[in-house]
Amino acid sequence: MVTTGTEETVCRLVREYSDMLLRLACTRLSSVSDAEDAVQEVFLRLLSAPVSFRDAGHEKAWLIRTTLHRASDIRRQAEKRNLPLEEAAQTAAPEPGTDLLQAVQALPEKYGAVIHLHYYEGYSIREIGTLLGLPAATVGTRLARGRERLRELLKEEIK
Amino acid sequence: MNWNDYRKAVDALPLSGDFQERTEELVRRTAKIVKLEKECISVKKKGFVKAVSIAAAVALLTISAYAASRLLSPAQVADIHGNAALAQAFESEDAVKLNQSVQTEKLCVTLAGLVSGENLSEWTDQADQSRTYAVMILESLDGTPLDIDDFSITEYTFTPLVAGFTPWSVNNWTLDAGVSLLERDGALYYLLDTRNIEMFADHTVYMAFYQGRLPDPDIFTMTEDGTISFAESFEGPQALFTLPLDESKADPAAVEKFMNDSGFDREWFTS
Repeated sequence: MVTTGTEETVCRLVREYSDMLLRLACTRLSSVSDAEDAVQEVFLRLLSAPVSFRDAGHEKAWLIRTTLHRASDIRRQAEKRNLPLEEAAQTAAPEPGTDLLQAVQALPEKYGAVIHLHYYEGYSIREIGTLLGLPAATVGTRLARGRERLRELLKEEIK
Repeated sequence: MNWNDYRKAVDALPLSGDFQERTEELVRRTAKIVKLEKECISVKKKGFVKAVSIAAAVALLTISAYAASRLLSPAQVADIHGNAALAQAFESEDAVKLNQSVQTEKLCVTLAGLVSGENLSEWTDQADQSRTYAVMILESLDGTPLDIDDFSITEYTFTPLVAGFTPWSVNNWTLDAGVSLLERDGALYYLLDTRNIEMFADHTVYMAFYQGRLPDPDIFTMTEDGTISFAESFEGPQALFTLPLDESKADPAAVEKFMNDSGFDREWFTS
């Protein structure tokens, strides 16, 4: 069991997970700056409120779930302030790159997270179920529905 | 288009090359502050009796029923946010209408009302999750219109707190809350959206407003019996309301699950 109240432990987690969590947060937030805030707040929370992780899997799952919650919270606040999405996209940093990334960002969290974890991080459906605390069947359904939503958003077939 | 394009697009995100380094530095600096805060807690606990007495006296003097006729109602606030379902919920019998005000510094803080339940909002993508919504109104005592930029949700906090649970364990942060802000005729309206706080209804549940961010021991103290109050040394606009929740709606099993799901040490919730 690993308890995270110490500077050393949290710094290790930063080195190990910050890149992955930042990219994950970027699938919920169009501003890289907001995504950085979300991830940093998650790490700082471990200092003020230590968590006892059962094992490495629990550690990773907690970080992923908490980052998604925090990113969604920031996003919800921005949406409620009626911040136009176009404006957010312009202030945001992500290079537009492809329509597909922007379409994933537009998906509800429950679909966007599984799509990203599966197609970018390479996790299997079963592994995503463990990370997000969901039955594998639910993950499979969300993956299928997420792809369907993306097709609608992109109006073209994803190969 | 295929998923390789997606991976390339994610790889092409303009992420800052020194994010990891900056975050580690932030962690180191914050760790020092947290350590200092912990050292302060024991000192503050010794002075809590005096702090509670003063806070109680201030509350008695300043909490009053507020004639809110010229202000927007919670339903109107929800409506302006484009949330007709929530507006309807605020008008329902299940809604709690409070209209209680506290005068603090040059401000009048009014807790207008709240409503709890499932599927009350059109926004949430977690439709199966029960939520509580509350509206708080801020006005200047001298009638000067308030500027929304001076009271941003990152500078001021409007959060539930629960007696018996440390303010740093049960608050906006841990309850997955969001706050939105709007200005009408010089008054500011905070709309809070949080996990359903009725699960704590067998405890005293508060709604707090103050200048500052995360509720920490510099801002709040908790007595041995779980009563929460502002720290004696805490300065700045502040208001603490007690919510008249229906005790029969308490859900100890949900509270238990909330604590388990948080992953935090149990002790952190109570001391």
